[in-house]
Amino acid sequence: MASTERTIEDRLREEYFDLLPDIRRVTEQLDAEIRYHLLPVSKGLDRHERLVITSRIKECESALQKLRGDREGATFDPDRAELYSLTSLKDLAGVRVLAFPRARLSEIDLILRKAYDGWEPDPFKEESAGLAFKYWGYRDSSARVKGEYQIVSVLTGLFWNVEHSVMYKPHAQLAFVSGHLGMKQRTSEVLQALHAFEEQFEVVLRKAQST
Amino acid sequence: MRTLDTKQQILDDAGFSYNFDRKIYLNRERRKIFSVEFIEDHDEKALEECIREDTGGKKWRFYFNEEPSESVKREIEAVLG
Repeated sequence: MASTERTIEDRLREEYFDLLPDIRRVTEQLDAEIRYHLLPVSKGLDRHERLVITSRIKECESALQKLRGDREGATFDPDRAELYSLTSLKDLAGVRVLAFPRARLSEIDLILRKAYDGWEPDPFKEESAGLAFKYWGYRDSSARVKGEYQIVSVLTGLFWNVEHSVMYKPHAQLAFVSGHLGMKQRTSEVLQALHAFEEQFEVVLRKAQST
Repeated sequence: MRTLDTKQQILDDAGFSYNFDRKIYLNRERRKIFSVEFIEDHDEKALEECIREDTGGKKWRFYFNEEPSESVKREIEAVLG
């Protein structure tokens, strides 16, 4: 009788659904904890300031693509299938903190670094991400699934949301469009423009408040 | 970051296209494949030298930071058809 060999992707999909309860628990724990830790900040915001906390569970196909895309040539080695596990991903459970003005980013970073002592920093690859922070580590809700939190400016975070939901998510075949050099260049320019916009806005607000 | 545009132009001029599924630039006539990581980690001069390099043009030549295994090469070649 002929046997059907399972692909690496099939094995990883099975692993994903085995991990899913843990991913949910870590996400919920991180979300609740971060909201709690940042309560003093959110209560003290001025009228023009913003603090937005969002969380998400990485979807199955996104997780597979991330794991594959982290490899040069975005290809799993079929002879080394045992090497691949979704537990190596740092962001199966993720929380993103968006803040404005940017001075709040460092304040939030300080608070969360104390709360998550021992978590590893994972700097953004994009230099143009500007002042932004990213850390990963484990919570007591799972020994298998890592969690990640990011702290970024409001406009940068919203741009990433739009970029992800409009460009990549609906078209799996465009998952790696961000690797195109022209797209990298344009993305960098957008982020730089958003920083300039935020910077200018902050200058105008400071002036308005001082008069 | 402007160098990204320059490198993209070099690849365009040499007839390379981007493969959205594998994060590679390839030219079927030249039988050459560049990973995005390799392109980012090498300057324009090195990129042009690789494009000019005579590889015989029979087998695919992979320009990766880390030489891919034979099984990975086979996978990519199978995807390219």
